[in-house]
Amino acid sequence: MSLMRQIWTVSALNFRNLRGRLWQSLVIVVGMACVVGVLLSMLSLSEGMYRAYTGTGDPGRAIVVSQGADNEVISHISRDVGAIIATAPGVAKDGAGRPIADPGVLVGVPAIKKRHNSDSYIFMRGFGPQGFALRPDLKIVSGRKFEPGRRELIAGVGAQGQFAGMNIGDQVILADGPWKIVGSFTSSRDILEGEIVGDSDTLMPAVRLKNYNSVIVRLDSQESLAAFKKALTSNSVLSVSVERQTDWYHKINDQFYTFFSGLAYGIGAILAVGALFCTVNILYAAVAARSQEIATLRALGYGALPVAVSVLMESLCLSIIGALIGAAIAWLLYDGQQDSMWINVFYLTVSPAMVGIGILWAVVVALLGGLLPSIRAARRPVAEALRAI
Amino acid sequence: MKYLPLVWAAWMRKPARAILTLLSVTMAFMLVGLMIGMSASIDRIAAMTRSDRIYVNPRFFGANSMPLAMQHQIEGLAGVAKVIPVGEVWGWYQNEKNNVYVPFGDLRGSRAEWPVSAAQWDALKATPNGLIMSRLQSQRWNKKVGDTFTYRAPAFDKLDGTKFWSFKVLAITDDMPLNPDGYLFGNLLYFDKSRPLAQQGKVGYYEVMVADPERGTEIARAIDRTYASSGLPTRSMTDKAAFDSGMDNGINVGAVTRKISLAGLAMILFLTANGLAQSVRERFAEFAALKTIGYSDRVVMLLVFLEAALPCLAGATLGIALAAALGGQIPKICPPGWGLPVPVMAPIVYLFAGAGAAFIALASTALPAFQLRRMDIATALSGRK
Repeated sequence: MSLMRQIWTVSALNFRNLRGRLWQSLVIVVGMACVVGVLLSMLSLSEGMYRAYTGTGDPGRAIVVSQGADNEVISHISRDVGAIIATAPGVAKDGAGRPIADPGVLVGVPAIKKRHNSDSYIFMRGFGPQGFALRPDLKIVSGRKFEPGRRELIAGVGAQGQFAGMNIGDQVILADGPWKIVGSFTSSRDILEGEIVGDSDTLMPAVRLKNYNSVIVRLDSQESLAAFKKALTSNSVLSVSVERQTDWYHKINDQFYTFFSGLAYGIGAILAVGALFCTVNILYAAVAARSQEIATLRALGYGALPVAVSVLMESLCLSIIGALIGAAIAWLLYDGQQDSMWINVFYLTVSPAMVGIGILWAVVVALLGGLLPSIRAARRPVAEALRAI
Repeated sequence: MKYLPLVWAAWMRKPARAILTLLSVTMAFMLVGLMIGMSASIDRIAAMTRSDRIYVNPRFFGANSMPLAMQHQIEGLAGVAKVIPVGEVWGWYQNEKNNVYVPFGDLRGSRAEWPVSAAQWDALKATPNGLIMSRLQSQRWNKKVGDTFTYRAPAFDKLDGTKFWSFKVLAITDDMPLNPDGYLFGNLLYFDKSRPLAQQGKVGYYEVMVADPERGTEIARAIDRTYASSGLPTRSMTDKAAFDSGMDNGINVGAVTRKISLAGLAMILFLTANGLAQSVRERFAEFAALKTIGYSDRVVMLLVFLEAALPCLAGATLGIALAAALGGQIPKICPPGWGLPVPVMAPIVYLFAGAGAAFIALASTALPAFQLRRMDIATALSGRK
């Protein structure tokens, strides 16, 4: 009989007998479900935030901030510098020949988070005249756009979900009085969707800003970034930094992503080591319970390898089932849920790739855990085991 | 006590199983220790936050934009005891991942509980480029007293056109639980004189001490009212309110750590319950013999319970000990700028672990105990099942 066939027969026999060891098998399944469930639940947060941030970026857009600024809030671009940026080479033009460049502001505004009714901040962004043209993803879902020159704001659906008093008709109090929310928008679930938006030039005095925070431009093509960047950074009077918007948002989120995913993997690893010991434990017991079956098979001429493989197969299958259950629980509980951390609004995400990571963990734990028991199964002297019958 | 040898013998029938079970249980309780310990640590920090210290920030963000003139205006408000201006510069040391944050100011008046002595504050006041460095920071950047510490702050313009802020380390001080990442203090004079002329005379925020902690929130509101329609509206919060709001708006640490701990315990609940059931099944005849020679149901059940409790108790003890040891290493592993609170093995940790261990032992005992109670001694003795 060929080796593959032997492996198949022995493994199939083992699986058929698994019912007798149902409860033991459940230990491996539950263990792995806990590991993967916790891992993916935690990762859903860093993944969700990552998607919100990277989704805000567009490789066809570039952001200009004051030199060295690592976020828009501390950046400052004066009006005249803003005008120079708009006319720099590499900036796309609209149908009327106007550059698609948007001098914008980004400030934190005190707001109440719904979850704990707690004091927090919400991001408020100012758009210039090209703000909407620059962001085709932004769609008004109810109400209307704000009118420049009037104290009007629109709120992202994420902002409305997480913060109190952001519905159409509500008022946001700024330094010059109340601003009315006149519309709400979606924006492909990016970070903008958790912000409120008004007209830059009208907003600036209301939050006592004298300078813009950034200028975002649409590039002629993705390749024109180099020319655009060179034109601006070679002029030391401007003192600005230029970055592709995707890189910019990647950098902003990078440290949090690394830190929080690291935390998730660390906690997952502790659980996984626990699950590993569980697996070894249960598989040793399984090998002991199967000693007569194994001895009989060996006496009939089946090789040691198929027996060892059958132990690994059992370990793999149970672990992967556990991982899938864990992933399903994490997915059911969290995937797609709107959440917020401090000022950021995002959607928790359990992606297929993350389920893949969970299964990979299960495979590693299963193989490591199955190794010693499978060797024991293969090495067991046949005669001794048969005598026990 | 006299049953212990019996329980021990039961465990040692399968030493491999005993050790593997113990290891799993230990890992689970280590996780419990780390998680609940971290949550306890945050609770401890929360309890230390103060209602008599107010932070006055610009209402609409903006770095270092508050004029120094505000100091005397705020001092004039009723109930205010002290006002301390603080400049802020953040950047990185050697590479972008090494976050560094320096507040510049003579904070002795508002940080009385901090482990910085009057002599050290005096030294800082007398040395414009001086720096007070906590032990954790000094270990991280490998600095000692007298060393030069220079970091880069790309977002902050300086008069000399560079982006570097350079200091002489004056003192190494003890760390604060409130700052698991360590802390640094600089001199406001150095901050102010290093800024471009147009930006001199402005600071990042103010620390305000009030005479009566009960009135902290009220005075914070009064400050904000005073500046509501000024050129620079403020946002004032007590230390306590700021901490609470930070926690409320971040991750619900208490709930998350409890859930993770429960997942760990669920994992080992199945394991111990199963191991015990199997062990009892294998020794049915043995238990029958015990019953035959006069052991009561209650004693037999106690034996089974002890057999389940032994690894739980040992694993919980080992796990918590490991968590305490590992927790101390967290500041060294954690990336700069992301201070995870160091888990403290507070009473709540022991309570949680103890309750978890007791529940697992009891739940594991339930089924085998039920079976043993109902067993037919004669059948069991005969070896048939």
